[in-house]
Amino acid sequence: MSTEVKLADDRLDYSLEDLLASGDFAEPLIAGGVRCHGGFDADGVYGSPRVLHRKPAIQAWQRALQAQGHELLEISSDLMPPQYPSVDQAVLLCRNGVREPVVRALTIISVVEGFGAIIRDVKMPDLESIVVEPFHGTALAHLAGGLFEAHARDEAGWGDEGGHKQMWEAARDLAFESPEIPDDVLMRIMGGPGGRGRPRKRGFPQIDETFERMVGLMSNVLIVELFAEEVFRWGKAVLANPEISAEPEQASAMVGYIESDENPHVEYLRTALSEVAARNLRTSDGAILSGREVVHGTLHSMLRQITRQRPEEQRAQVRENMAKLFTQAENPSALREEFESLEQPWSPPPHTGFEPQLPDSG
Amino acid sequence: MVAAAPHWIRTPASGLRLGVQQNRLWRTWRVARTGIYIWAIYKFPSWTRRLLGRPTPSLRPTHERAAHAVLACALEMQGPIIKVCQGIATRSDVFPRAVVEILKQCHDAVPAREYSAVKAVVEQELGKPLDAVFSDFDTRPLASASLAQVHRARLHDGREVAVKVQYPGLEALVKTDLRSVRIACRVYEFFDPQPIALLPLLTEITDHTAMELDFRREADSADHVREIFSEGEGVIVPEVYREWSTGRVLTMELVEGIKITELEALEAAGLDPGQVVQDLMQIFVRMIFAAGFFQADPHPGNLMVRPSGDIIVIDYGLSKHLPRGFGMGLFELLFSMMTMNESAMVRAFTELGFRTEDGDTDVFLLIARRMMRRSDTGRFEGEFTEEMTGELFDAIRENPLVDVPTDFVLVGRVFSFLSGIAHTLGHEANVLEAMGART
Ligand SMILES: Nc1ncnc2c1ncn2[C@@H]1O[C@H](COP(=O)(O)OP(=O)(O)O)[C@@H](O)[C@H]1O
Ligand SMILES: [Fe+2]
Ligand SMILES: [Fe+2]
Repeated sequence: MSTEVKLADDRLDYSLEDLLASGDFAEPLIAGGVRCHGGFDADGVYGSPRVLHRKPAIQAWQRALQAQGHELLEISSDLMPPQYPSVDQAVLLCRNGVREPVVRALTIISVVEGFGAIIRDVKMPDLESIVVEPFHGTALAHLAGGLFEAHARDEAGWGDEGGHKQMWEAARDLAFESPEIPDDVLMRIMGGPGGRGRPRKRGFPQIDETFERMVGLMSNVLIVELFAEEVFRWGKAVLANPEISAEPEQASAMVGYIESDENPHVEYLRTALSEVAARNLRTSDGAILSGREVVHGTLHSMLRQITRQRPEEQRAQVRENMAKLFTQAENPSALREEFESLEQPWSPPPHTGFEPQLPDSG
Repeated sequence: MVAAAPHWIRTPASGLRLGVQQNRLWRTWRVARTGIYIWAIYKFPSWTRRLLGRPTPSLRPTHERAAHAVLACALEMQGPIIKVCQGIATRSDVFPRAVVEILKQCHDAVPAREYSAVKAVVEQELGKPLDAVFSDFDTRPLASASLAQVHRARLHDGREVAVKVQYPGLEALVKTDLRSVRIACRVYEFFDPQPIALLPLLTEITDHTAMELDFRREADSADHVREIFSEGEGVIVPEVYREWSTGRVLTMELVEGIKITELEALEAAGLDPGQVVQDLMQIFVRMIFAAGFFQADPHPGNLMVRPSGDIIVIDYGLSKHLPRGFGMGLFELLFSMMTMNESAMVRAFTELGFRTEDGDTDVFLLIARRMMRRSDTGRFEGEFTEEMTGELFDAIRENPLVDVPTDFVLVGRVFSFLSGIAHTLGHEANVLEAMGART
């Protein structure tokens, strides 16, 4: 946690090793027999991995950006869709012996967390030739130099040290005593229909494609990281329920550790995107485009898509084989009725906060 | 597969145009002759070397000679022996590279049969004269392969079809030939102090051949894959017209498209080759990781692209169910190689069914490290390149593994094919990216 608030540290340049360095831990974190990242101090307080310099660095970059009169972009938490099934619904199902949807949800979360590691393999554009204003000493300048790598290792683990993927698995296995994993997990994670061989539609065809893709991936990951707050709330509440969880304390604490590791992810991504938004970009034909237009435009279209489509999809997927599962319970029709009575309709707010300023810009 | 026999294939005296030489005694002798020859070329040099006290030279030239002898035997005999060669050519985890390279030629080396023979099979199988079913039937085949050839035809209602017709008398030949090969294997195992376990392999090839001989199974497999992609994912599986199909004749919807490796034709149709690769990967990733059932033979001859971007997948002769948990196990393996997590690699190999003689799991790490050293970053980045699968199979062959799951080998081969296609189109075949997980 943030015990080391060093106000004086205004260093803006860090090496790869710096950004990957962890402090000392009195005790390692062992989850479900697997050594995981991070650890505990002498008082038993959990500390995240790789934040020795990463955390002060991000804070310094943020201060520098604000000192130059720019804002840090902010995504409203009102946009965050609720997890389905809800905590109450999940607990109800488990209490009635229907654990599959919850086990599946936890497994999907662990796999998706692990996939976060692909951020390190994103193709880096030639920033020097695209970003007009100087950007040394920024988060943007450190993406390939440690920020992406640290993020990837946090999510998927590195070497024999587990990351969030293994920690979610451990939480699941602690609470539900190593349950059988539904075999459709990967099917549910995979994207929908492919691109049909057509060149993909681009939001900003005038800028370098590699750059556009990087901004797209960063925006997408930022949104997922932010919305994960709801996943953590859900995970902690479900796993801490002694009625359904075999290890309520350990399992929910695990989710708490993961949650505390995520903070630097959100912060470096929003800092780097804000830095792009505060600058101008050279288009492929030599014109100038404001970075704000690209970043806000990307966030706007992604937020619309994610808040409108994804909750519906998730709900539909969960409900798809619900009918079959209900039959495993002792009293299927009563369970169904109670489950339905716990439905809480949700609709996304009308605005994302990143609306294009002109009716048809971009 | 490919239409006409390449010109360099000499038609042997037995007269292939009239069909396969059916004389069993001749066939057994032909296999025996090849077996003795191979045994001799491996053994005599080592005896003379020992006599003269010379060091052991590379075996590669010997492997090549042996493979050529097997190839010649297969081409002369046709039928199931070709299948055995094709089977060997798919097992680079067992056989030396030189052998695999040479025997791969079997794929292109099958001359066409006489139309009259084909017609006879169709009529016998469907129990009707040919023109009672078809208003048109091309006398020249569209393609010919080891077990069957394909003719273009038209049904009376005007639908255009492809008719896959199995060569006559194959089942009987499978019995004789595989028995001969089996005996040859036994003899080999008796003489070789450290034999490759050929018999289990042969059993497997026999099983696969038997599978491919039953076209009803092929039709079922096609239906199964069509079902996997029933939500409009842009995958075309030719419809099988069961009414005009039997265990030996398959009447299918005729499909046409651009061959997947024809870069210029794809571009001319306004398609983005990178997207085609991505779509193709998604199709196979979905079958293997998610559905647990896959077409295991995606060589470029079996894949076409429509100008709409839809991808046509044909030939379900070799299609397989994967055991429960296989997709997840494979995913964990790739994932652990991406994150250099060695304990997870060991768990994943075990989960997939790999076993070592003495339970020593370090061998798994050796294998994984060899694969990963083929990547620039020293860790797996999501693509199973041909070099990586080559490295994998070399490592498996050189290490004391008792159990290598065939499914794994087949899947590795699939990704190697896909990577080859991707590279032909100037792109990469990234498995993890194709999983399209929403991070
Ligand atoms: N439905 C079809 N429509 C068009 N051509 C086909 C069809 N099925 C097969 N073919 C052609 O016949 C060739 C051989 O068929 P295939 O099923 O691949 O046989 P094999 O299993 O012997 O490889 C294919 O490569 C393709 O050119
Ligand atoms: Fe995470
Ligand atoms: Fe994260």
